[in-house]
Parts: sequence; structure tokens; C-alpha cells
Amino acid sequence: MSSTSQKHKDFVAEPMGEKTVMALAGIGEVLGKRLEEKGFDKAYVVLGQFLVLKKDEELFRDWLKDTCGANVKQQGDCYGCLKEWCDAFL
Amino acid sequence: MSLSSKSAQEISELLDEYGIKHGPVVDSTRSLYEKKLKEAMAKEKRAKPSPDKTYYREEEEQVTYVYKTPVRSDSSGDSGAYMRARPEWAEREYEHETSNSRYSRSRPEYKGRDFVDEPYMYDSPDTYKHSYLKSAAPMKSSESAPKAAKSSPLIPLWVQFVFFLAMAVFLYLVFTNMETNESLKGIE
Repeated sequence: MSSTSQKHKDFVAEPMGEKTVMALAGIGEVLGKRLEEKGFDKAYVVLGQFLVLKKDEELFRDWLKDTCGANVKQQGDCYGCLKEWCDAFL
Repeated sequence: MSLSSKSAQEISELLDEYGIKHGPVVDSTRSLYEKKLKEAMAKEKRAKPSPDKTYYREEEEQVTYVYKTPVRSDSSGDSGAYMRARPEWAEREYEHETSNSRYSRSRPEYKGRDFVDEPYMYDSPDTYKHSYLKSAAPMKSSESAPKAAKSSPLIPLWVQFVFFLAMAVFLYLVFTNMETNESLKGIE
């Protein structure tokens, strides 16, 4: 089991509300900017995309890579973060 | 056939055709699915030429197999009871050559059929055993031949020959040196 970061723990601890996209695990300033430019300015919009992709890991990873150029680790962190949040709150 | 001009329904159907797991085709997911379809189509195009190559290899292997069969049929033509079975064998060998099954598979299949032949040749079990032993020997030699042929891409054949000659020369030198030692002992 890979250890989760503090960012991950903070995100899954509570409903995301109006948190920015950079609050997601794996998404830093650079990737966050790229996502905002594409219109994904809030974490819940990325959540929307995650749900539209049926919470499928491969599809979400591919989408994230295409949209903001996330590497494998970043894709995994973001996916894991959203998945756990959904398990807790959705 | 441009994917961007297709409707969302058509994209969804194409994804199902290629067996790609997907969600609804909406604005935010469309470009991702178009990209996946392009990759799937490109893979299909790449997959088509390769069967030809494997077919060519099978043909090569079949050619070596054909070369060996006359040797076997000649060696097995001993007893009178055999004369009847020989055309049957030749026909069965021919069937195996023309079949497009893999070479490695046709080998155990052939051995399996030897056992099936047993009830047909029950009138002369000795000749059957004789033929089986005879078939085992040339089959082993023919097996080693394709194996040698397979190793040629890894090590060039001429290198193998050169190495073999070098070893032979070396052994000859060692042997001749041994002889001179013995001659010295003889003098004493």
C-alpha cells in the first residue's frame, strides 16, 4: 500500500465545497493552472469529469494526462484522492 | 472517416465495437474518446500485416519439414506389411504440412496420431513398434534441424562453422602432442 500525502488526507477528510483544483492531491500550481485554463477551475468540476468517466481509473488517468500533462504519479494521486472522497461522501 | 464529424451516438457505438470501456460521450469526454478510437484503429492496421509474416515463417518451416519426409519414408520401407501403411503415412504427413497450425504443435499432434494408428495395424504389432522407433529417430534429427535453423538469427551459421573448425584443429593439436609424448616413453 502506498502512503498517502497530507494533501490527500486533508482533501478526503471533508466535503470539498468550493476548494480550488489545486487542493486535489497530485495537482500543483502548474497542473492547476493548465486545468483552470481548460475550464476546470474548481475541484468539483474535476469531480464531475471523474464521475462522467464512470470513476474508471484508466479513463481518468488518460484524461488527466491529455488535459494537463500529469505524469503517472500525479495521475495516481489525483485518482486515489477523488476515489476515496467519493467512497466517503458520494 | 473523420471522427470529429460523427455524432455522439456513433462515437459510443464505435467504442463498443473496439471493446473500449467508456462513459457518456459529452463535450468534455469527446476528445478523449476520439483519441482512444484513433489508437484502436491504428493498432488494427498494424495487426493486419503481421499474420502474413507468421504465415511466411510457417511456410519456411513447412519447407524444411517436406525435405525430411523422403528420408523417413525410404527408411521405413522394410517389411511387406509396411508397404500398405506407407501411403497412409505420406498422406497424413502431407495433411500436417498443408495445415496452418503452428510447427511446434504439429509435432506432438503427429506423435499422438502414431498411437491412433495402433488399432489399424494390429495385425503386425512388431512392425508398428519398428516403425515407431524408426520414426522417433528421424523425427529427433528433424527436430534438431529446425532448432539449428532457429538459432541462425542469433548466431550466424558461418561463425558456428568457424568455431567448430577451430575446436577441431585444437583437439587435433592436443591429440598429436599426446602421441609424441607416448613415442618418447617408447624410446626409453
